[in-house]
Amino acid sequence: MQTVYYIILVPMVYFAFGVFVAGTAARLISLFRKPKNPSTLEIFPQKGPKFLGALGQTFLLPTVRKHNPLLWVFLMTFHICFLLLIIGHLELLGDFRIFQIWGHEIFLGGGFVGLLLCICLLFFLFRRFVSPNRELSVPEDYYLLVLLFLTMLFGSEMDWARRWFGYGEMLVEDYRDYLMTLWHLRPMLPDAVTTSGHSFMLVLHVFFGNLFLIFFPFSKIMHSFISLPVNKLKRG
Amino acid sequence: MDQKTRDDLLKLFQGKLNRAMRFYLETCSRCGVCTKACHVHESMPHVKYIAAYRAEIVRRIYKKYFKAQGKAWSSLGESKELTEMALEELYEAAYSCTGCRRCMVYCPFGIDTQMIMSIAKLLLVGSNHEPETLTLLADTSIEKGRSLEMFKEGFLQGVKNLEQKVVEKWKLEAGTTPIPIDVEGADLLYVALAGAHSIIPAAAILNAAGEHWTLSFFEAVNFGAFVGDPTKTKLIMNRIIDEAKRLRVKEVCICECGTAFRVMKQLSGEQPFKVSSITEVHARYLREGRIRLDRNRFKEPITYHDPCQMARNAGVIDEPRYILRHITDDFREMSPDPKYNWCCGGGGGLVAMGEETLDFRMKSSSVKVKQIQETGAKIVTTACENCHTQLSNLNDHYKMGVDVRFLSSMVADALVQS
Repeated sequence: MQTVYYIILVPMVYFAFGVFVAGTAARLISLFRKPKNPSTLEIFPQKGPKFLGALGQTFLLPTVRKHNPLLWVFLMTFHICFLLLIIGHLELLGDFRIFQIWGHEIFLGGGFVGLLLCICLLFFLFRRFVSPNRELSVPEDYYLLVLLFLTMLFGSEMDWARRWFGYGEMLVEDYRDYLMTLWHLRPMLPDAVTTSGHSFMLVLHVFFGNLFLIFFPFSKIMHSFISLPVNKLKRG
Repeated sequence: MDQKTRDDLLKLFQGKLNRAMRFYLETCSRCGVCTKACHVHESMPHVKYIAAYRAEIVRRIYKKYFKAQGKAWSSLGESKELTEMALEELYEAAYSCTGCRRCMVYCPFGIDTQMIMSIAKLLLVGSNHEPETLTLLADTSIEKGRSLEMFKEGFLQGVKNLEQKVVEKWKLEAGTTPIPIDVEGADLLYVALAGAHSIIPAAAILNAAGEHWTLSFFEAVNFGAFVGDPTKTKLIMNRIIDEAKRLRVKEVCICECGTAFRVMKQLSGEQPFKVSSITEVHARYLREGRIRLDRNRFKEPITYHDPCQMARNAGVIDEPRYILRHITDDFREMSPDPKYNWCCGGGGGLVAMGEETLDFRMKSSSVKVKQIQETGAKIVTTACENCHTQLSNLNDHYKMGVDVRFLSSMVADALVQS
């Protein structure tokens, strides 16, 4: 079992991270090297500066708010929480003063960020079982949501155990130690990470996270990078 | 389908994969927000008429042949082979979409379904599955450009026959040539459609404004764009560009045809002349005081249908409203935001296909009928030939009891002497 833990927590992490970075970069380079469309793809009327408008469309999703307010609430919650989650993981790699402008424990949100993310993902998943979203969906849509849900569920469970149930065998410092050794290319697995009662949660969290990173460049999640330039086309 | 045909079609497909197209094909998250956007789906709520579903038909072929995911794990994105059956699906998707781009207003990414459908149309052209009528019309337009001398005499005689009617509408400045043709150094080249309705009112207004103008030998409509053939689209457009350059005009004014205007405005590139729609030109004449209109000429409430290719897709929105404010005190908007105006259901070549598509056009546009009826207007005016034909068909089919008019003909009827 220790070997499986090691493979998931060390070589698979490097592999997943490599595929994510190289794959995403290759996809973006290949996309942006294609020739531009010869004519405008703008729609009218447009108000305000074009780039700011595209930013607003990308990050505030006004069209979803107008046409599907319930989905908008979940989408905004999901994306904001996801951002907080990224900040939380960055804070495991080092101290960023900018993130500590308001003092907080790592991770942000007192456990509720993970909870909200899980709820949002369940909403996204179950709405796909209802027509017409059912007919529009392809297996990729379900797999991605399930993968994200499992990643977040196991990640959050560790947070909930520590914060809400006083579980003290595997602490943020232990994750930090583990990640820092990976970061400095001298991988080591602290005992707390592999032998505590909740180790399997960390291993499953990292396993599903790895799968997600490997899948990322080949999936529709690339919209994280493409959404702004696509919206810019609409604004002219 | 044999391998060579498939390879040839895939080359055509690849030729369409510029940056924007790749963005559109890669981005959709199938969130379903566009479900309510399409007039066809709102009138006939089948999943196949949802914009995302239409696009997915093209996207599945894209995944199969142009994405690693489709090659490695085909079932993941339900990628699909290009087969005869796929071509049938592409036909239904492409020719149930009018290219109005209303779905783009709904989509959180702004995915352009019309552009994705241009792949479907091109594959249909490449496999000879496109609507024959549209190809015939496009070929006729191209042939006219190549053999102008053959058509010239008949065209000149036809125009001569119309001149008396122009003089009847506007006598003052008509002079000896109410419809000038082939005038080198004219300020404005007016590109009309085949038919008196597109020439007489326009000529009357241009003469009333004292414009130094000339009529094009060619009709504005671009059937190449309807059928989705970029080569034919360019050939048809180039006839007009060449004529404008030969005559050294400063402005090319496109008649009431949304597609013709958008193609010329957005695809002609950098040219020594500017491109305007006739609606923009009329609004300019009004602003400059070159024409005056009788506000009491029309007594009944008027509503305006924004042709998608002119308004949402080319930005001619304020001008028709400016004109209408000079014609009536009872103008009624169809939609609080013109961006959300429903398509009439006649675009994308559907009207040009005539009786073949009539049943579908009537069934798929009930939502437009409702929108018009809710205004309470008795006159429905528009600035696009396709929309005019479709709205007239809807008027007859649904017994709406409205008068469907071209905006330019209303302007011509309301002209008053300075």
